[in-house]
Amino acid sequence: MKNRLKLLRVERGWTQEQMGQALGVSRQAVNALETEKHDPSLDLAYRIAAVFERPIEEIFENPHVR
Amino acid sequence: MLAIGKFHTSAHKRYVIRTMAFMIPYVLVNTGAIFGAFDDIRTPVAAWALALVVSAPVVGQIWATLALMAESDEFVRALVARQFIVASGVAMALFSVWGFGESYAHAPHLPGWLIYPLFWGVFGVVSPFIRSTR
Repeated sequence: MKNRLKLLRVERGWTQEQMGQALGVSRQAVNALETEKHDPSLDLAYRIAAVFERPIEEIFENPHVR
Repeated sequence: MLAIGKFHTSAHKRYVIRTMAFMIPYVLVNTGAIFGAFDDIRTPVAAWALALVVSAPVVGQIWATLALMAESDEFVRALVARQFIVASGVAMALFSVWGFGESYAHAPHLPGWLIYPLFWGVFGVVSPFIRSTR
């Protein structure tokens, strides 16, 4: 799923490890999210939205909306 | 076993410890068997007891893998699950082909316990190609 996670992470000056700690997931999970190798669960998507204080739609591109 | 060198989470560290705890006895018992340590076993009960002792680490190691999945985040859980399912399917298919080869084409008999090392061998081959949960 296309997303702005890497941009948001870099804006905060975080490493993938630091972002993983903030989200409660591994660095591998952060990398997989950024490279679109893993679509987050709804729970993780909401956690990401809460950490970055933005609506989910601003972070993840809705693939069902043209 | 899993490609443990790439991960450094506490769940993976526990997996490594558990795997070593199960695989060291497995190797020791099988090495003992190869060198005749259990050749004097005669009764069926003792023979089955030996079979269960040798098999126990295999069960334990599979539990360690499932525990890793339960203790990991959703990405690792989903990734290992995909790798596990594909490796299981390929290993079962290969062993079934060989089994029917034994039945119909006089292929030499292979013991059933080979499915376990075969599974992990296949797991090692397919895992580098399964890096996505999608």
